[in-house]
Amino acid sequence: MLEGLVSQESFMDMSVLERLKWVQQQQQQLQQVVSQSSNNSPGLFQILQFHGSNNDELLQSTFSHVQMLGSGFGPNYNMGFGSQHEAMDGCISRTSSCHMESVDAMGFMLKNNEENRVIALKNKRKQEVKTSEEEKAEKKIKVEIETESSMKGKSNMSITEASSDTSKETSKGASENQKLDYIHVRARRGQATDRHSLAERARREKISKKMKYLQDIVPGCNKVTGKAGMLDEIINYVQCLQRQVEFLSMKLAVLNPELEINMEDVSVKQFQAYFTNLPVVGASKQSIMVDVPLFPLDQQGSLDLSAINPNQTTSIEAPSASWEAQSQNLYNTSSFGFQY
Amino acid sequence: MERQIINKKKRVFSLEPNKNPSAVFTRKYTRHLVPALKKLNMNKNSSQTNQQTVKHEVDMALALSAQEFAWSRFLLQKLSSSKNPTTTTSSSSNRIRILERSGKEGGDEDGEIEKKLKELQKLLPGGEEMSVEEMLSEIGNYIKCLELQTIALKSIVQETT
Repeated sequence: MLEGLVSQESFMDMSVLERLKWVQQQQQQLQQVVSQSSNNSPGLFQILQFHGSNNDELLQSTFSHVQMLGSGFGPNYNMGFGSQHEAMDGCISRTSSCHMESVDAMGFMLKNNEENRVIALKNKRKQEVKTSEEEKAEKKIKVEIETESSMKGKSNMSITEASSDTSKETSKGASENQKLDYIHVRARRGQATDRHSLAERARREKISKKMKYLQDIVPGCNKVTGKAGMLDEIINYVQCLQRQVEFLSMKLAVLNPELEINMEDVSVKQFQAYFTNLPVVGASKQSIMVDVPLFPLDQQGSLDLSAINPNQTTSIEAPSASWEAQSQNLYNTSSFGFQY
Repeated sequence: MERQIINKKKRVFSLEPNKNPSAVFTRKYTRHLVPALKKLNMNKNSSQTNQQTVKHEVDMALALSAQEFAWSRFLLQKLSSSKNPTTTTSSSSNRIRILERSGKEGGDEDGEIEKKLKELQKLLPGGEEMSVEEMLSEIGNYIKCLELQTIALKSIVQETT
């Protein structure tokens, strides 16, 4: 029995080569016929029988050979003697699996047979698998990898060896590509696995935390969305504050000669400014009164810092013009409410 | 405490004035600035370079009263190295920039953000020597201190008017 099988095997090796050549010839004819007729497996079967009437032996041998193939594929492989028609389909799929040219017949095969089985056998047709739905790609590839590994132990490797070198290489190349693609897809989906991207992510989260904190500090940032807009607001605010300080220090510089400050008074009045809403009455002195911008209260009852009568401005020779301009600037650009 | 609540006309004190950071800062600030100004007042009678020196003193007071922050150190360095501290950029250029901002969208977004971060770094004293993350956290307290400084200056100005 075994000897018989072995002899059959050796015979089949030869026959496989012949078979392949024969099938190559039949390919084009198949394409024409199948595209014309409806996708009907009996039709194909008939064609094969028609063309291969001389090769009944071949077909039978391939059939049994296919059975041996099937034995190696485990549960996925549904190789039954059930319908010869099915087996023939399997044969055809396997035989023509050597060829890269896409055939409508092959597409038809896919539909009729179990996908796994067909794909498992189509080691050399991975390009087609790629072109087909990508969503199932992983599953298919996995199956292919499994079947490849199982295939290696079997005599059906002879088939792959028997086939042309180019197809073998391309198949291996395709498998490698697909393995690479597989890994690549993985990395794309679960980015966190990479150390670098993890670190980057952590860094980005830190920065966004700080931006949120800044958003709370800088008034008017809530309306703007996006990093760029917020950064703009922050920049403007800092510049406004700095300009204010400049302006106030210039004012101080002018007022400095008349400085008569009691330290205690200053601190006390400061806190008054913090917590109460004191309007400052116009000074009795004949010094300059420049408009200091109003800082209106926010809704939540934050502090109103200073309110000076905006109407009293007296002008003095040199710096006043710039001061007025500055104060106008401050009026126009600032409507701040300091919140604490 | 109850008396304070009942009688609203009385001043409100914080229960722990020494711990409120803004109060601490302001107190420090005024304590630095006011004597310095007085000193200036006494030493120099002419007001030629008064503005610059006053600005100098103002900045010095800021730096001295916020010594827990990194930027204050940089500011101190700057001030001690140069007698004429660099003033902030003029308002006109900033205004132009503000107006331009609204028109820009998309394009080189990341590049834009980088640019703005760099600008922000320029604004902060010592910002260019810091990393971006550090700079962002320093900017927060720098802004706070600037706000408090303006309050203090305003109240000082009020005092003298």
